[in-house]
Amino acid sequence: MTWLLVFSGCTRQEPPIKVDLSNKSQIDLREEGDVITYAYLPQYSHTVSYQRHHLLVEYLCRETGLNIKQIFPDTFDQHMKMVGQNKVDISFSNPFIYAKIVHRYGAKAFARIVENTSQDKFRGQIICRADNPAIKTIDDCRNKSWIAVDATSAGGYLFPLGHFLSQGIQKEAFKEIAFAPGPGGKQEKVVLSVHAGKYDVGTIREGTLNVVANRIDMNEIRVIANTRSYPGWVYAASSGLSVSIVEKVRNALLKLDFNKGDHREILAAADFLGVIASDDKEFDSIRELARRVGISLEE
Amino acid sequence: MNIWPVKLGFRSKIYVGMFSLLLLLGLVIFFLVARIMKESLLEENKNRGVSLAVNLSARMVEPMLAMDFLRMKTLVDATVRLSDDISYTFVMNHDQKPLVHTFKGGFPVELIPVNVVSNFQRYSMRLLDTGDNLVYDYAVPVFVGRDRLGTVRLGLLTTRIEKTFNRIMVSAFLSTLFVILIAVFAATFLGRPITRNIKRLHDSTERALRGDLDIHTAPLLKKNCWDIMACSKTECPAYGNLYHRCWYMAGTLCPTCVEGDYAGTITSCQNCTVYKKCAGDEIQSLAESFDSMILSLKNNLSGLEQADKTLKKQKNLLRAILDTVPDFISLQDRNGVYISVNWAFCKMLGKTEDEIIGKTTFDVFPGKKAEVYHQEDLNLFLTGEPLVKENRVVKGHRTKWYHLVKIPMCEGKGQISGLLCSGRDITELKRVQEQLTQSQKMESLGQLAAGIAHEINTPLGIILGYAQLMLEEGDDPAQSKEDLRIIAKQTKIASKIVADLLKFSRPVESVVSVVDINQAIEDVVSVVEHSFNLEQVVIKRSYGAGLPPVKGDEEKLKQVFVNLLKNALDAMGQGGVITIKTYYVKQMQKGRLVVSVSDTGQGISSDNMKKIFDPFFTTKGVGRGTGLGLSVTFGIIKEHGGTIEVKSPLVSERDRGDAQGPGTAFMVHLPVGNGL
Repeated sequence: MTWLLVFSGCTRQEPPIKVDLSNKSQIDLREEGDVITYAYLPQYSHTVSYQRHHLLVEYLCRETGLNIKQIFPDTFDQHMKMVGQNKVDISFSNPFIYAKIVHRYGAKAFARIVENTSQDKFRGQIICRADNPAIKTIDDCRNKSWIAVDATSAGGYLFPLGHFLSQGIQKEAFKEIAFAPGPGGKQEKVVLSVHAGKYDVGTIREGTLNVVANRIDMNEIRVIANTRSYPGWVYAASSGLSVSIVEKVRNALLKLDFNKGDHREILAAADFLGVIASDDKEFDSIRELARRVGISLEE
Repeated sequence: MNIWPVKLGFRSKIYVGMFSLLLLLGLVIFFLVARIMKESLLEENKNRGVSLAVNLSARMVEPMLAMDFLRMKTLVDATVRLSDDISYTFVMNHDQKPLVHTFKGGFPVELIPVNVVSNFQRYSMRLLDTGDNLVYDYAVPVFVGRDRLGTVRLGLLTTRIEKTFNRIMVSAFLSTLFVILIAVFAATFLGRPITRNIKRLHDSTERALRGDLDIHTAPLLKKNCWDIMACSKTECPAYGNLYHRCWYMAGTLCPTCVEGDYAGTITSCQNCTVYKKCAGDEIQSLAESFDSMILSLKNNLSGLEQADKTLKKQKNLLRAILDTVPDFISLQDRNGVYISVNWAFCKMLGKTEDEIIGKTTFDVFPGKKAEVYHQEDLNLFLTGEPLVKENRVVKGHRTKWYHLVKIPMCEGKGQISGLLCSGRDITELKRVQEQLTQSQKMESLGQLAAGIAHEINTPLGIILGYAQLMLEEGDDPAQSKEDLRIIAKQTKIASKIVADLLKFSRPVESVVSVVDINQAIEDVVSVVEHSFNLEQVVIKRSYGAGLPPVKGDEEKLKQVFVNLLKNALDAMGQGGVITIKTYYVKQMQKGRLVVSVSDTGQGISSDNMKKIFDPFFTTKGVGRGTGLGLSVTFGIIKEHGGTIEVKSPLVSERDRGDAQGPGTAFMVHLPVGNGL
């Protein structure tokens, strides 16, 4: 029988490579020294975050001569905590998170972006399914289920919440307020949840629909309302980062010119048109909004 | 030499052949299926490994970006737990440094370089030998966009695929074996009746070879023809015959049967109800036809035995006759080899039959004689003409005469296949014949003496007269010369008469020479004419001109003519005409001379006609004839290869000549150029 099986098993096959598995060693992943960490608030998946910013990080390395490395915190909270722990030296976050890390950990804004809309500010969007006959206007959102990006999301929660409040719609008016499950990709999850019909209303940052345009038919999503504009995404340095490094990074960012061929690719990948100088005062409106909607920057 | 199949029985050959065929077929299918199966399993395993690795690679992007070792570790551990045959997984960063793995007690560093996948490959697979196991190692790059983050490696043990393969192979093998066994059982079930019938046929054949023809090979039928046809014709050969089928029998009495040869009857029988109900398969049909063939053989053998008995009886009878007959008889084939001889032939040669059969003339007879006989045989084979002759054989002081007849034996389209020789010892007959001839000569001489004496006396008287005249006249020389001339002439006449008598009366051996037949007749007539004239018998001559000579003994031929003339004289008594005619008759390639001697006598009665050539038969008075004349004449003519015929009374003018009475004509036919 053995002979039979051996004979019958004759097939064309390459000879095996001998490997000694007993020759073992322990993994040693030592961190490199003098690394400047760069983190993009994980409003999207890490893959999207990487794809959007790895060219920019490489550009900053080349431009500043610094060893800058992009890291990927899983959640907004983790992002903020890592800023506080100086594990994130350069934070690229929404203005609301910025307001928090300023308030909590003393981070300091040094630049902010110009949106693809050529605006240096951005806004939130309130969306529903295009075929939802019960929602025509903002008032129709009452007694509906609402999914937001995150309790700390500016464009995906705070801006729309402020907008609802300004329209006289309190949080209690909603049948349900839910947040997208983490980690990562939370903006897309809101769109997908509304598209799937699980929630009636969703709130996202302006521009998110473009991100998911290749996944769903955009004609099936309808924008009910846009919030007012607030200062856009901001670059902030952790409190532990030296001023000289901050200056090098800021200068390099400010040098980015969409009209330059090599810069255009970087900026296109990062999904903004350019970077302008900024300081903390420009984000008072955010702090005012937080106060108005009753959210503490300590939370 | 592969001789064992020859010794196997038919059944064993069928089984061995079928088993071998099925085994071969099964093995071919088995190995073919095995190969396809293994390649399919390998392909499936490869696809499975690739799928697992690619999936892990896709899921590894986020944790690798986040450097979330917990999630990476969770993913690799979860992947390994998916199946027992997943030996390991590990993840390397873009610097080929392991990030997480599933090994215990450290990472086996030799794994890293053995399977490297480039950025342009979807995956890379290598078969690794770890010493304990064979592992298919899959390397899949981890990409985010176009940037490579690292590599996922996954090891699949071959044990699962081997187990699966072995399980399938065992199942296939057992299935093949099962099918073969089923086929063998089926072949046994179906083949047993065939082999049993063939064995019965074989046994029957052996019995037939041993001479036992009471064989019944075909099985008995449940219903026979008389049952099916409700027949009561007990005289029908098929009725009650349990062992032979009616369609193989001749002379059956069924109304549906047709007469004729087997081919015709069997065609008719195949449409018969009996045939349709009783005919079996080819083997049964073979057994039935075999039985009929044996029956036919038995009948034929019985007939042959009877014929053989009759033949032997006749052969013995013929042999007895041949051996009893005093004549010697021999039979030679086309090559002159003796096939059969009788006792007399053996006795003549002084040899046994075994010493002669199978031998040729040269083996049996001495040299010169054998050469003569051989030439005779060759001539006979060439011409086809029978040979009749008398042989004189001298043995010491004894002389033997044999009368021989050689006749060609023909078969088929006249082709000569052999030579029959019959002969008898005629020494005694010859002696008596010689004596008779001599006696007859003497008798003839006695009867002619008076005439001869008168003939001689006439010239003697003349001689004497002229001699006396010469003595008396003596002076006239012219007269004397004339007288002397007459005397000389008369002396020559007398001398010739005497010489003829001497020649006629002296018994001589046959001396063959070329004979002018007209001259020979004239010699005889000149002797007897004077005495015939005294009886007022006139001899008329009508000799054919330019006749070819014949070969023979002239004196014996003259004896023939003397006898015929004397017979004619005796038949006429006082007065009459004897007419002698000679002429040539051409027949086919050969010719013959005919000598006709006719008289005007009283003729021969039909009763006497049959006896005239018998010895001692005579119608003459006592003391006037011995009755041997025509008998001797017949013998001499026969000796010359001729024939003699007699006609009486004469009817044609040619035969009658100038005859006044009924007359008789003897016609001697002599072959030209063929004498003794």
